[in-house]
Amino acid sequence: MSERISIAQARIDRAPVVLKAYGLGSCLAVGLYDPVQRLGGLAHLLLPCRPAQNPLGDEGKYVDAGIRQMVAELLRAGAVQQNLVAKLAGGANMFESEYKTLIHSIGARNAKSARETLAELGIPVIGEEVGGNRGRTVELDLACGSMMVYCARDGEKVLL
Amino acid sequence: MPFHLLNNIQLDALKEVSNIGMGHAATALSQMIGQTVYLRVPHVTITEISQVPEHLGGAEKLMVGITLQILGDARGSIMLLFPQESAHRLLSSLLGREEKGLVLTEINVSALKEVGNILASAYLSALGNLLHKTLIPSVPLLAYDMAGAVVDYVLIELSQNGDLALMVETDFYGAADQDAGIKGHFFLLPDPATLDIFLSAIGGPR
Repeated sequence: MSERISIAQARIDRAPVVLKAYGLGSCLAVGLYDPVQRLGGLAHLLLPCRPAQNPLGDEGKYVDAGIRQMVAELLRAGAVQQNLVAKLAGGANMFESEYKTLIHSIGARNAKSARETLAELGIPVIGEEVGGNRGRTVELDLACGSMMVYCARDGEKVLL
Repeated sequence: MPFHLLNNIQLDALKEVSNIGMGHAATALSQMIGQTVYLRVPHVTITEISQVPEHLGGAEKLMVGITLQILGDARGSIMLLFPQESAHRLLSSLLGREEKGLVLTEINVSALKEVGNILASAYLSALGNLLHKTLIPSVPLLAYDMAGAVVDYVLIELSQNGDLALMVETDFYGAADQDAGIKGHFFLLPDPATLDIFLSAIGGPR
């Protein structure tokens, strides 16, 4: 059974569900997994940090807030924080540019924010397929915690 | 103005302004490729940011995306999307030689960016004249990848201001035979603050 995660959405579930996020550019997919409980979640995040003042819209679009929310939900569902491991994919820079745009290097900042947030929570990042300038589709298999990353443009597959 | 507060008269006004702008852009394109370019009446859609890739025919479809920032009196982004096969046909007619598949060499990228530049400039100058505003396109940027990956750049920028996107979308196609022709999508994604500027210049009820 495969469940689709759209932009600014996160979802937790149990084995044997497969969670899928399609067509990530600068967006970041964060997969969390508890291999003992076989419980995990996948989030499709847009922006690195939730502003402290006047945050606009869903928590689910911010990397830091989205990860914290997903961890809280996993713990509520029976996951154990010490068991959790994380995998990251996405965070590319699709439009290479010689001049700085308003959202320059947002992909790299998304990945950095995820590493920092996960480090604060004591969750190790055990796999990464981030950066570069290619789009990615991500599949997190909750039966084993493996993350498959497809790059449609060059036809490459990476297993995390 | 938040996008969800727009009424039908304002949406119609945006549609009409966009229609005129796209008319100029289509004329420019048809002169470049030496064939008639047809336009579909624009749609104005207010949609959740997360639904935008679906409007483009699916997040995983391979597309060439050319994006430009709008500078000057108003801010926002323009995104032009060509499905893989259309980008290939467009290059063949622009460069006057049959290309084998879509290969993005330096000259091909440069030609496609130039198309983006000309379309956006024609559109923005028509829009600017109509609204008495100065609208300038930035240097175009190009990416070739899955539609979702190409547009999330624009969505990230929009999402800083909320969870909704206003899309002014126009399809255009060259040649009467649509299947063999060149198809493209043109998106105008104004910032919420820019929308106020547009609407007050149009002069409709607010």
